[in-house]
Amino acid sequence: MSSLSLKGIRKSYGSLDVIKGVDLDIKAKEFVVFVGPSGCGKSTLLRMIAGLEPITGGDLNIGGKRMNDVDPSRRGIAMVFQTYALYPHMTVRENMGFALRFAGVAKDQIAKQVNEAARILALEPLLDRLPKELSGGQRQRVAIGRAIVRHPDVFLFDEPLSNLDAELRVHMRIEIARLHRELQATMIYVTHDQVEAMTLADTIVVLRDGRIEQVGRPLELYDNPANQFVAGFIGSPKMNFLSAEIVEKIGASVTIELVKHPGTRLTLPVTGGAVGEKVTLGVRAEHFGLPGKGSVDVTLHVDAAEHLGSTSYVYANSGGELVVIEHEESRHTNGNDRITVSISADKAYLFDSAGQRLR
Amino acid sequence: MATTRLHRNEQINGWAFVMPALVLLGIFMIYPILWSLWMSFQVGRGNNFSFGGLANIQRLANDALLVHALSNTIIFFIIQVPIMIVLALLFAVALNDATLRFRGVFRTLLFLPCVTSLIAYSSLFKSMFSNDGIINQTLVSLHLIGAPIPWLTDPFWAKMVIITAITWRWTGYNMIFYLAALQNIDKSIYEAARIDGVPAWARFWNLTVPMLKPVILFTTILSTIGTLQLFDEVNNITQGGPGNGTMTLSLYIYNLTFRMMPSFGYSALVSWVIVAIVAVLSIVQFVIARDRRRAS
Repeated sequence: MSSLSLKGIRKSYGSLDVIKGVDLDIKAKEFVVFVGPSGCGKSTLLRMIAGLEPITGGDLNIGGKRMNDVDPSRRGIAMVFQTYALYPHMTVRENMGFALRFAGVAKDQIAKQVNEAARILALEPLLDRLPKELSGGQRQRVAIGRAIVRHPDVFLFDEPLSNLDAELRVHMRIEIARLHRELQATMIYVTHDQVEAMTLADTIVVLRDGRIEQVGRPLELYDNPANQFVAGFIGSPKMNFLSAEIVEKIGASVTIELVKHPGTRLTLPVTGGAVGEKVTLGVRAEHFGLPGKGSVDVTLHVDAAEHLGSTSYVYANSGGELVVIEHEESRHTNGNDRITVSISADKAYLFDSAGQRLR
Repeated sequence: MATTRLHRNEQINGWAFVMPALVLLGIFMIYPILWSLWMSFQVGRGNNFSFGGLANIQRLANDALLVHALSNTIIFFIIQVPIMIVLALLFAVALNDATLRFRGVFRTLLFLPCVTSLIAYSSLFKSMFSNDGIINQTLVSLHLIGAPIPWLTDPFWAKMVIITAITWRWTGYNMIFYLAALQNIDKSIYEAARIDGVPAWARFWNLTVPMLKPVILFTTILSTIGTLQLFDEVNNITQGGPGNGTMTLSLYIYNLTFRMMPSFGYSALVSWVIVAIVAVLSIVQFVIARDRRRAS
């Protein structure tokens, strides 16, 4: 089980910079998830670690050894692909044992390792089937099995659940979490789905536009986002953003006024910012309270309400800004109502015009 | 009942739509095929023929030239088809490499022979390989050979010229099939193999070749049929010579029909021999290529 370190990692295609200097330390046995919108460079970064894309600049160390120019097969890694990448003409058994044949492993040892992986993944009844005779979830398990048999130090997953349906995705998510516990291996997992990131990761790395926005434990990122991008990306439903302006600043607190609700003022324990500065107030859906229970009340027009049973979401409108509310009274709200909710200063976030958190 | 009338109308409509095609097919395909079968039992010269029973089959059994043409054709088929298939496969894999520069140019150059006219390229090969042609001149001037090679006047070298010519003409054609098939293979399969430490030769032999097997089978059958029907090149470059050294079945049929004493009946029978050989070889190739695991 190896640790990884990335120092100033860069990737350019000609004059186009895709990865713009990434510094990251991954501890042995850690489950790290790279998450970000499509085009943020998360898959490219993973492929650079795998050795499938050359590294333009910086240092990649796996287990303390510099791996920039080492062949993919000698980096001690195994990779699971979004498309499964199974060999279509080979049975499950052959798929899992194929690579071992070229690693000089004896035949009976190959059989042993394949059977062991099949047992872990409950693939034993499928060993003699061809990939085309398997369901999507089974194929992905075979792909994971093919990685396991090689006993790699680091597992790389490139959006492994994206081709599965929602129900299977939840199931495989739990399976991968269990696997990480059992194998005690370092795992790096790429996804655009923040729910997968939140549920699987020890550490989440949020990427945007070839740069790291924030690194932290899932709840750390949720409770304490470094900027507006992370705040908006982590959490479902998304954090609500209301435009505001700083109207007063006394000591370690600022008072803001909501732009779309003139007169609605809120004082937050923030030291940064200046009077007159345009800012954004961030409030999570579940942090809206009943009227009178928070620091200030706002009344909004309801566009629609979704009642999911265990919870309800109210989609409201604050002068053109969409607001999602999840609270106790949501259940009784319907479209075209008006709803009054409270915002608590201690559960709200403030971001400057550049999107950085004001603390 | 209304439904039966509707049903009948649909039947009539359906047949009316396929009838023109069926009639044309019948006149220009099925009738000649049946007629040639009938012809193969006729004896006589030119248009004066009569039913000869098994006379043609007896002639077939004693026809030394036919055996010669058949063995030439088999030599062409056994040597040329594998060389061409392997070459086409290697070119396709090489040209599928995304890191190769000028891929488009190479692809075009390799495919270009297929769009040249058979007559034009045959004439060109004939002049290139003539005794004082550019090939001999070049080889002599490079001191690779002392005296000119009798390309077109020695049966062995003449066969080599024919094999070279058809390989040049048809390799690009087969390559296109492989390229198309290769582009349908998920790239991650090769990436997974690279990460798993599968060496390049094994990626080609254990992954590419099995995944292309249906296409390889298809092109092998096409090439087999093509080689058994080999006519234009031998007719234009060597006229079957020297001393029938490059005589093929198709050229022999042509000669039987139009050059020697016209014997339509016998040439029809020889044509049916080719049909039988093609059928047998195709079945053999299908059986060999069939997935053993699926079959069991």
